[in-house]
Amino acid sequence: MGLNPESRARFNLERASVLMLEESTMGMSILVQILTGFGAKTLHRCETVEEAQATIQKVEVDLVIADALGAEGEGYDFIKWLRQSRIEPNCFAPVLLTAGHTPRDAVSKARDCGAHFIMAKPLTPIAVLERILWISKEGRRFVECDSYMGPDRRFKNEGVPAGTLGRRRDDMPAEVGQAETPNMDQDVIDGLLKTRRVEL
Amino acid sequence: MSAVRIHVPPVRLAKLLRTPGGLPVADAIRRAGAGLESLRGECLTELKGVLDSAESCAARGGAQYDRALLDELYTIVATPIGIPSVCGLASVDTALISLSDLLDYLKGQERWDANAVAVHLAQAGTQAILAGLRKVSQRYARPETPTA
Repeated sequence: MGLNPESRARFNLERASVLMLEESTMGMSILVQILTGFGAKTLHRCETVEEAQATIQKVEVDLVIADALGAEGEGYDFIKWLRQSRIEPNCFAPVLLTAGHTPRDAVSKARDCGAHFIMAKPLTPIAVLERILWISKEGRRFVECDSYMGPDRRFKNEGVPAGTLGRRRDDMPAEVGQAETPNMDQDVIDGLLKTRRVEL
Repeated sequence: MSAVRIHVPPVRLAKLLRTPGGLPVADAIRRAGAGLESLRGECLTELKGVLDSAESCAARGGAQYDRALLDELYTIVATPIGIPSVCGLASVDTALISLSDLLDYLKGQERWDANAVAVHLAQAGTQAILAGLRKVSQRYARPETPTA
């Protein structure tokens, strides 16, 4: 990442509809100041999961910024509900989850709830903007299965875990099979790598 | 093995961000920073209230482990994490995070350690908040610079 805070590159949040879930009044004010500073105009402020669920059922949202909400992590449950609700297109919305502190017994819940990114508080404008721009990127794969629904959490492909067959159509087996075509000649390989002068 | 469906849903936000108009990053960051600055006084007052509540909650703790009290204290100290940094008191945020870690650990061990909690609360403590509040009031006490 590494967004330059002095950048003159433009972005437009004016027409984006943003749902914010935050139980603390000051936490909500901080988020509102950051987002209005970014030019966002349509902000749906929800203090409880019930309010957030009702909003999801009523309006189309382009971005969700939700707090984890306490030790039990009701915010994680909300994201899981959102993903499994099948309320399109909201169930595919980019989700930024914020958390002041994540108790040890909620770590797996946080990881598996289906958020695009989990941000530790304190929030700073530059960090929030960086994450918004990052999670809004097109082309992110979405995974749906019995135990998980949300953005693909694999950022690098290190192959199938040892001892398993893999669950995806494009997963390759760990063992490399016999070559089906002859090896390339060394001259051909050298030719591919050789630096050449380009005539323009 | 469960069936896995992988697809690429359209992201409307990406298209909206690219629409003409909007703000340069530098201006947006500056505007958001100014907005946060306007919350400083309110944040400090709120924080002072939070720490008072945390101290009185911790003071109710006896020698024995009390899960309900630990849960209550955890909620009091973990909820405002992030607010102190808006007031320029990042060290208070660090103390709140550390105290939340401690309380989480104590819950896991089913223990209570009044001294460790007291040390954290003193660190997060009222002195830092009061210093912050003084700064805010001094700013308002300063005579306004005449404009040309």
